[in-house]
Amino acid sequence: MSGVLVADHVTKTFSAGGSDVVALRDLSLEIAEGEFVCLIGASGCGKSTLLNMFAGFIQPSAGQLLLRGQPITGIEPRCGVVFQSYALFPWKTVRGNVEFGLKMKGVPAAERHRIADKFIDLVKLNGFENHYPVELSGGMQQRVTLARILAADPEVLLMDEPFAALDAMTRQVMQEELLRIHEQSRKTTVFVTHHVDEALILSDRIIVLSARPGRVKAIVANNLPRPRRVDIQLSPDFAKMKAEIWGHVEEEVRKHVEATRLSSAAG
Amino acid sequence: MTIGNATEQVANSGTNGRPKSRPSLIHIILLVNVLSVLAFVGLWALSTGLGWVAPIFLPSPSAVAAQASKLIDSGELWIAVLSSSRRVFLGFALATVIAVPLGILMGVWWPAKAIVDPFVSLLRPLPSITWIPLTILWLGIGESQKIAIVFMGSWLYILLATIEATKRVDPLLIRAARNLGANDLAVMREVILPGALPGILAGLKITLAISWSCVLSAEMVAAQNGLGALIWQAKDWGNLPLVLVGMVGISFTVLLADALAERIERLLQPWERHRRS
Ligand SMILES: Nc1ncnc2c1ncn2[C@@H]1O[C@H](COP(=O)(O)OP(=O)(O)O)[C@@H](O)[C@H]1O
Ligand SMILES: [Mg+2]
Repeated sequence: MSGVLVADHVTKTFSAGGSDVVALRDLSLEIAEGEFVCLIGASGCGKSTLLNMFAGFIQPSAGQLLLRGQPITGIEPRCGVVFQSYALFPWKTVRGNVEFGLKMKGVPAAERHRIADKFIDLVKLNGFENHYPVELSGGMQQRVTLARILAADPEVLLMDEPFAALDAMTRQVMQEELLRIHEQSRKTTVFVTHHVDEALILSDRIIVLSARPGRVKAIVANNLPRPRRVDIQLSPDFAKMKAEIWGHVEEEVRKHVEATRLSSAAG
Repeated sequence: MTIGNATEQVANSGTNGRPKSRPSLIHIILLVNVLSVLAFVGLWALSTGLGWVAPIFLPSPSAVAAQASKLIDSGELWIAVLSSSRRVFLGFALATVIAVPLGILMGVWWPAKAIVDPFVSLLRPLPSITWIPLTILWLGIGESQKIAIVFMGSWLYILLATIEATKRVDPLLIRAARNLGANDLAVMREVILPGALPGILAGLKITLAISWSCVLSAEMVAAQNGLGALIWQAKDWGNLPLVLVGMVGISFTVLLADALAERIERLLQPWERHRRS
């Protein structure tokens, strides 16, 4: 296996309240250098679990995860995470948050300042450097997390439904910015979403996970031309691919709905 | 519904002029506050003036006012306030310096908590006055004994608030920090300390009022000076106006200390300014 990021026959079981939940079963996948991969699947199918294992927050029950061929055994700063709930430090200003990774690397203050400026600029938050996160809207906060992780310059970006909490319009703006940033940096990215449209707009490849326990259900290459803008959604190719992906996803969502109906009827 | 209507009536009872000139509800509430106090003092003056209550049970407001101005002029009140404040400050500072670091350690490292917890459970039910006999035996009746009482009455509350605040730091932020390359020390400095600070400061503020009640009870049992001693001695001399002046003095001093603590709390947490306003 040669990918930057590899999941090799990974199984993850949680024990919760006496019973075991198999979140992922025997999942294998590989992500290439510079690739933008979207993971898509019904809620509860183990998308966050997989991302948390790539980040080293949790360990698999079986199988292994590799970063450039090396097993991931602890929290891995080379895999930078963008959290759905932002996870900004409330006591730090925008600048303080963006500089955090650099500070941890021991970059001198002046250099930190310069680099932070560059990324605050990139996510268009100039003028807000000295604001605290509570003073910003959700979309602005998510841009700070983006700038924070980009300034830390990890080898891989792991993004767990980063735009899920945003309203539809802000979400589009953020998608466009992420497209622009990715097309400039070409940083390997794993992006979790449950929006088929979002996956098609952003990705080079879409991995559809099955309902729990999650496994790879389908892999679809996304050959929509780059550079892209969000108006790619209007193209006929987009509609064709959307129908294809939705075909894979729908069945799994149905299974998920059935399963929850059964378990709630039983419980 | 009735309350809502009443409020609306109060708010609308001003002039019908421009909205700006209409007194706001806050001003009206303030006015009612003042009137309520005046009415109370008036009733008090009336009941003592007409002889409904004997002066040996309740002195008249003017007697209390005269006593107060005498005490202020002679400087005795300031001496009492200062000596009590000094004891509170020293005992409270000592408790903070010991209990905050210990509480953080107990919050992040379970063996520390397991070692200290039994003592916390045993000491918690003991009010600070129960330490008066032992502390007098060990330290005499000087300053250090008063400070020890304040310390014994305060440190546990600070400790418990600190443990709680430390444990409540969002684990997601710790994850995020580690993901950005923070080691243990950096997580402590950059996440746990600032994350626990609001809870610790809130705990300190509540404990400060407790420290005051500790020093007052210690002074009432054995002290030459301080606000507690002042009212206790006044009782022995049968000087009821002085007792009341002392009580009002205590009330104002503690209120002032609380306001000061509130200011410091705000200054230390600029990121909290929006939540409060
Ligand atoms: N820490 C945990 N303890 C117990 N069960 C968990 C834990 N984390 C996730 N799970 C379970 O694992 C399954 C997958 O969760 P998750 O990865 O969050 O799904 P997704 O992100 O795809 O919605 C869910 O059924 C969830 O309840
Ligand atoms: Mg999830």
